[in-house]
This record gives sequence, C-alpha cells and structure tokens, in this order.
Amino acid sequence: MATDSFEPRIVGFLCNWCSYAGADNAGLGRLKYPENIRIVRVRCSGRVAPDLVLRTFQEGADGVMVLGCHFGDCHYTSGNYRTAKRIPMLRKLLEIFGIEPERLRLEWVSASEGQRFAEVVTEFTETIRRLGPLDLHPKRSTTPASGATNE
Amino acid sequence: MSENIQALTDELARVIAEKLTQEDLVGVVVPRRNGSGAAAPHLFAPGEEVTDLSLSPWYHPLNAVVRLQKAYPEARLGVVVRGCDQRGLVELAKRQQVNLERLVLIGLACTGEEAQECGCDKPAPAQVDVGVAPPPARNFIVEEFLKKPLAERREFWRQQFARCIKCYGCRDICPQCFCEVCALGESYWVETGELPPPFPIFHLIRAMHTVGKCVGCGACEKACPAGIPLTILYDLMRAELQAELGYEVGRSVDEPPPLGTEEYQGKMSY
Repeated sequence: MATDSFEPRIVGFLCNWCSYAGADNAGLGRLKYPENIRIVRVRCSGRVAPDLVLRTFQEGADGVMVLGCHFGDCHYTSGNYRTAKRIPMLRKLLEIFGIEPERLRLEWVSASEGQRFAEVVTEFTETIRRLGPLDLHPKRSTTPASGATNE
Repeated sequence: MSENIQALTDELARVIAEKLTQEDLVGVVVPRRNGSGAAAPHLFAPGEEVTDLSLSPWYHPLNAVVRLQKAYPEARLGVVVRGCDQRGLVELAKRQQVNLERLVLIGLACTGEEAQECGCDKPAPAQVDVGVAPPPARNFIVEEFLKKPLAERREFWRQQFARCIKCYGCRDICPQCFCEVCALGESYWVETGELPPPFPIFHLIRAMHTVGKCVGCGACEKACPAGIPLTILYDLMRAELQAELGYEVGRSVDEPPPLGTEEYQGKMSY
C-alpha cells in the first residue's frame, strides 16, 4: 500500500467529563480535525484498561489515543493518576514487543480545550500517517473494510 | 561444581533439621527429588529424616506454601526460599495471598553459576542462612535482545509466540497469577478456539498483568513446553517499572502495588 493513500485508523478513548466535552467544544467552535479518529466515550480515562488498548490494536487500530482530565480535575478525584501510570507502562511494553510506542498517546484535554483537542488529534494523525499501518496480521488485509469507515 | 552443590545440600538439610527442632513448625517446604529424579515440593515434618533435597533442579515452593496456608491458616510453616522466592512472597503478602507472620523463611543463596544461568541481578534472599550470596550476574540474552530494532523485535516475538500451544502453563505455574477469573480465559479479551492464541494479545495481556508482581523467577519459561523465552519480556518490564516509577519488585511489604494505587510522583514520560 502506498503511504500517501494510507488513512490511519485511530481509536480515541475520551473521558466523559473533560475530553469528550473538549471534543464537543471543538465541534461547536467549527474547528477542523482529521476524521480518522473514532471516538469512544468512557466514564473515566482510568477505566481504559491496558487490555482494552491491546485489544484495540489487535482488532486493527493503527493508533490509540487516551484522553483524560488534567491532574486535579478528575471527576472521580484520582482516576487519571492511575491512567498516568498504566498507559506509559503499556507504551514500554509495546516498545519491548516491537510496536512503536508513538502509536499510543496519552494526553490531558479539558472541557474548554477544543482548540487543543483539534491540535492533538491532528498531530497524532500525522504521526500515525508517518509511521504507516500497524501490520500485526500480515496475512490479513490491512485495508479497512468498506463498512468500517466513519459514519 | 557438583561437590559445591552437594556441600550446600548437606548444609541445607542440617539447617532444616535444626529449624524443625528449634521452632514450633508444622513442617518445612522444600523441593525434594523423587524416584525418577524430578523435583517436587515436599513438607518435611518434625522428626522426619531430611533427605533427597533437590537444589538442582529447583522447584519454586511458593504455590505449595500458598495452598498449604489457605488450607491451614493457623499452621506455622517453614519454607526454603531463594532470592526470587523471597521477593515473590513479599509481593504475595501485600496482596493478601500469604501471611508472612506464620512463615519461617530459610534463605538459600544461589551459587555464582546458578546466578549466571538465570542472568539474575539479585541472586540471594534478604536474609541468607545457607550459602554465600554471589555477585549479581548480567543477563546477556536480554542485552542481546535490546540491540534489535523494533521491526526485528516484533518478528522475533511473532516466531516465538507462533509455537505457543496455549497450555496456560506459564500462568498456572506462576505464583503471582492468583486471580480466580483470568482475562486470558475471557473471550472478550482473547478470542477462544484459536491455536496459536491470538497474536500478540494473549502474551501481552499476561505481560501487562504481571507488572509489579513478576520477580523474574523464570518458572514460566521453565514450564513452557515450547521454550518461549518469556523472561525477556518480563525482565524488561520489571526494569522499566523500576526506571519509571522507582518500584523495585519484592523490596518491601509496605510499598503498595505500583499500578493499582493513586500515588503519582510525576516522573513518568508520556
């Protein structure tokens, strides 16, 4: 597959209280960001178990973003502190295993940071575009099925 | 070499017999050689002749100790521990799997050769009763692995994991794998009915779940019928955990499990 025709499949786990509202804010502000990201709303970034991220890669994501509240802003007081330890450890595991750790990104985006959300997603999409498809299953086709595009 | 092991075995037998008479113990758990030359944990009761100890091959006694304690919570048990076993007990204790107050540890230092065989950087328990603590050994297999670029690493693991027959031996032998419901058996994490198991999620989930618990005893690798070098994965994760969060596995019962708590020192890079 030529790199310029490659459209990264990105899954974003956004916390309900800050980052999802931040994405909403980006929409309200008519800010443009790549449509490659598929957003999954979760109650808290602390809910994003490493298993969930691994399964997302397993199912064919080229990149995964975990977005949560800034420190001190967690709706559940401490969920993001746990995320801040788990996701970096998972990045280390990916690196040891041989997946570029840049494919997993943890960022803090508050409800008012629509601009920041758009920037982070744009920048991440460009990173994944540069890295190319994550070819975990070479025997399987890496082109997304027609039904798998964004609705 | 064998003389060395023989001398250690004799000394260990003497120390066990001593502990059995001095302390009020139900027995001492230690690997014993059976008729076919294989090792299995054995509970030496007071008055029993301490013979046929098996230092090599070693059988990690933690699973036996945990089961004995669960069945007989009041029993005072002795157990012969190497460095890895002792650190494993610390991790099990802080997760309420063993009661250290009812255990009497007999610390056995590994020989220098054993340490080199394992590439072990902490080849002795905190308290050594038998043997002399050797210097830490370098792990050449891990050092060699780290030289590989990312693409080569993934190809390496692809070839290794392709041999997996999904016997769950690595999980079942692991003293730290005590969950009653295991994610590796849950179809929403790992698709069932596939052989080899789904690459790479099966092994990566296990690697992630043992972070902060794995002491690197290597029981999983020895149990693996396919000879997958699992300790490379777990050793490196342990090193990363120490580098990033300053958590040294098995150091102290008072340190809470690293990933399950809210303490955050702000050292992590993401």
